[in-house]
Amino acid sequence: MVNEIFDQFHKIATAPRAQMDSYLQQGKKVVLTSPVYTPEEILHSMGFVPMGAWGADVELNRSKEYFPAFLCSIVQSMLELGINGAYKGASAIVIPSLCDTLKTLGENWKYAVKDIPFIPMTYPQHRKPAYGIAYTKAGYERVIHDLEKLGGKFDAAALAESNRIYNRHNQVMRRAEEVLANHPEITAAQRSDLFKSAFFMLKEEHTALVEQLIKELEGTAPAAENLPVIVSGILTDAPQLNAIMDELGFHIVADDVAAQSRQYRTDVPEGEDALQALAEKFGNMDNCSVLYNVEKPRVQWIVDTAKERNAKGVIVVMTKFCDPEEFDYVMIKKACEKADIPATLIEVDRQMKQFEQIRTNLETFRDMVNM
Amino acid sequence: MITLGIDIGSTTSKCILLRDGKEIIGKSLLVGGMGTDSPKKAMDTVLKECEITPEDVARTIVTGYGRKNFEFGDGEVSELTCHGLGGRFVFPELRSVIDIGGQDAKVIVLSESGRMSNFVMNDKCAAGTGRFLDVMATILQMDIGDFDACAAKSSDPASISSTCTVFAESEVISQLANGVKREDLIAGICSSVAARVSALARRAGVMPMVCMSGGVAKNGAVRRALSESLDMEIAVDPLAQYFGAIGAALYAYRQAIK
Repeated sequence: MVNEIFDQFHKIATAPRAQMDSYLQQGKKVVLTSPVYTPEEILHSMGFVPMGAWGADVELNRSKEYFPAFLCSIVQSMLELGINGAYKGASAIVIPSLCDTLKTLGENWKYAVKDIPFIPMTYPQHRKPAYGIAYTKAGYERVIHDLEKLGGKFDAAALAESNRIYNRHNQVMRRAEEVLANHPEITAAQRSDLFKSAFFMLKEEHTALVEQLIKELEGTAPAAENLPVIVSGILTDAPQLNAIMDELGFHIVADDVAAQSRQYRTDVPEGEDALQALAEKFGNMDNCSVLYNVEKPRVQWIVDTAKERNAKGVIVVMTKFCDPEEFDYVMIKKACEKADIPATLIEVDRQMKQFEQIRTNLETFRDMVNM
Repeated sequence: MITLGIDIGSTTSKCILLRDGKEIIGKSLLVGGMGTDSPKKAMDTVLKECEITPEDVARTIVTGYGRKNFEFGDGEVSELTCHGLGGRFVFPELRSVIDIGGQDAKVIVLSESGRMSNFVMNDKCAAGTGRFLDVMATILQMDIGDFDACAAKSSDPASISSTCTVFAESEVISQLANGVKREDLIAGICSSVAARVSALARRAGVMPMVCMSGGVAKNGAVRRALSESLDMEIAVDPLAQYFGAIGAALYAYRQAIK
């Protein structure tokens, strides 16, 4: 049964277009949500289906008309897919201002993909003080305004309900992540499908499927422990990468991946004003390379989590040309060294065809940890 | 007990026969690596020379880029692990191995007890590798084996500012056109490789004792430039090119006695 549920996650994770078509056929409107964080709760409450758009492993051609080569390939592949019509039918795309590359994506999108309107979400750098929360709230109001132009209707009570649905999904995903840490037989590829499928499903539907998985896993005896590790980075969905991880016997006992657990760490707090509460949620978020915090608590979070989950090492999966992640890496490496936790760095991008260098790196890392 | 280590690189294939994990009883090196028949020939050669049959070999471990596709091994291990093991076998006090091969460069740092404690590999880039030197040798129409002697004559090494092989190629051609002496260019080329690799070594936390392995270890000009750049002595051994194969044979021995 566990594998059957994972097959469903896999089917959805590998066929987002079919998923989008299915929602469109049901008469729903789909709004694309770009990395790293968008106020999906607002979209959901206004009747849209938020669908994650994190690019794909495609060859970059048309996007090069707008971007230089030395730019994050996730963003480049999003524009490539947009130009090539892969997102056709979407009512809009919400792109946040969380890194410099995303800012350029928004501007280029306006010119390159005219049939899918660009909705900017401008976040403050200082998101925790009251003025930062007010700024975030104003940004959300701008998003609401743009969505209203597409036929959406904002209602505070509906947002409160969507906040509740998203909070429930967050809790279920956090629980699933904990359960997976105790099941080494679940592969990195399956784990990736679980998280990736969440971007392409209505959260209430995904929650139901994940709850089923948790129930099944809790009733299953776990296999013997393999090589427990923590994975950190922006995106780790490349099938070849996950296949190598599985082949070498790595068991991901926790992740610090933007497209995975980072999405589900923080809930919307209780509050009378649902929009204010959603803005406060962003203020409460942390431990991420694109969320400014001069104290860099993310670094210690990785070390503490590695210890807590008995990880034998940390694998940093660096998305090529991702400045925020590159800045953090040095601190992560030093902190791991200080804590005597082996760490390695592998570099990935959306256009990789050969993973042999990554295999050699991970194989050596496995030997280093084991010998 | 006899074990065999085979290192299938991008340009050469090396074999080592080891007795009881202690004594090297045979070695072979053939030009031609992954995708050629050299790995098999190198294995046949060392077995024949030592008058040993495949049945006499307790275990065979394959390493290097071609390790995945060689059907005559009992297992495969990454070349970094093997270079660390092989280097320590030759130099018991060794703490850092700088391996510059045909297609890549790697730095392996060992703990006091010889356990691998860190490693760094270069990116998907030919700069700072044997390939960089090959390209430059082709432009200069020289044998790469003559680089060392030629660079030693240099009084004013040229500055190769670009770290990219393709751009450096244009730069070298321009410098040739401007009349820069060949020996100065070669010294500059070797320094360029050393600069790139020393940055990698520092990232890995290089510490003495340092040795070089891989084919480029034979190039004295790169070795000297690297030593100068790191401000550390760099040991080299005639077996430098065999470190990977030695490590694989040792790994095979450790597995076989388990």
